[in-house]
Amino acid sequence: MIKFHPDPELLSEYVQGGLSPINSIMIAAHCDMCERCEKIAHQQTLIHAEKFESDIGNLSEFKENASSDRKFDEMLESILNLPADKRALKRAQGLSASVELDGRRFILPKTLRKFIPSTGNWTSMVGRLWQAPVDIGNDSIAANLIYIGQGGGIPEHSHRGIETTLVLKGTFEDGINQYQAGDYVYMDSNDTHTPVCHSPQGCLLFTVLDQPLHFTSGVARYTNPFSHIFFR
Amino acid sequence: MLVGIPLEQSNSVVKPKDCAGEMSGYIVSVAESRCKRSFARIFSYFAPRLRSYALKQMGNEALAMELVQDTMSNVWQKAHLFNAEKGSPSTWIFTIARNIRFDMLRKLQNRKEDVCSDDLWPVLCEQTADANETSLDEQITLEQIGFMFEALPVKQKAVIEAIYIDGKSQQEVADELSIPLGTVKSRTRLALQRLKVMLQDHD
Repeated sequence: MIKFHPDPELLSEYVQGGLSPINSIMIAAHCDMCERCEKIAHQQTLIHAEKFESDIGNLSEFKENASSDRKFDEMLESILNLPADKRALKRAQGLSASVELDGRRFILPKTLRKFIPSTGNWTSMVGRLWQAPVDIGNDSIAANLIYIGQGGGIPEHSHRGIETTLVLKGTFEDGINQYQAGDYVYMDSNDTHTPVCHSPQGCLLFTVLDQPLHFTSGVARYTNPFSHIFFR
Repeated sequence: MLVGIPLEQSNSVVKPKDCAGEMSGYIVSVAESRCKRSFARIFSYFAPRLRSYALKQMGNEALAMELVQDTMSNVWQKAHLFNAEKGSPSTWIFTIARNIRFDMLRKLQNRKEDVCSDDLWPVLCEQTADANETSLDEQITLEQIGFMFEALPVKQKAVIEAIYIDGKSQQEVADELSIPLGTVKSRTRLALQRLKVMLQDHD
């Protein structure tokens, strides 16, 4: 049973397209693994679609402006001049679905597979710990696949930024909780923990360290969503 | 001004739920016959709603109108991808607008992540039944039947592994193993049949 989920508020922001790309990826990958959250996300989509449909806005005010009607007319006309586009986008084919470490194969959730080609080599670290860096295109975010073998762990640490982890396989515990495949784990600078893996098959994690960006521009809704919303 | 195709303001009074069937019909006729009149009806119903939504999301008239235009262009050009069985017209159009919003924000904020809305929500992607589309349920099953998989003849196992785990196409597998495509297909079929029988016995 998956116990750790993103907050419904976060799912709601996600289905509206308001989360940053990397945060969206983490939620989407969690939804790939978590039927419950996938269902909530679907329901949220329906709710927001309904809201969108029932809100026609302040059209009368818009129409008082004589040029507004014309804007819609011009828009309609220019759209009707566009040709039909029969090329449907195809999802990339032939992408591998799994990563390999020491002859063991791990199937990744659908959303993460696009990063397999940009995943670097595994490096053996201390304590039966393996790490493979994942290049997601943004240098200010550290994304890694981490494998902890049975009995291995990560020395106690706190977090400078915000760390989000998706457990892809196996289980680990950190002295506070036990986490298992599908769990979505959020840690910020208040959290200090010591992850250890006791499960015989080890555990595989996908983890991102997102340095919160400070946005000063006008699109205020593009806030860092991971401020306090996380629940069990 | 588009001659002969007046925008029908009266549409905006129609209650949302009542017109899903009607709007579906218009989208289908756009898909099938590029019917401009049908599109004008879809436009007059959804464009004001999209504008209102976009204004709230983007907080700026120019960006809002850009979002309306991009969304409605997709509806006109890709009407054939609408599937009434999968959702209502308003849900479909909302998800198209949401995807465009996501990509606009990404650009505005200069986010460098190599992620676009189609990676997250393949609204305008053709849903193919390739290996990448297997649901997690199927994957879990694949893991659970691991021991049955091991019992397959070596040649069938290789083909199944390449297609369902590595996500290769049948043609790629044929090229790699230097065997005809037909052989790949028959091995796949035989292996799946065998697994099916094993699963039934297992139950």
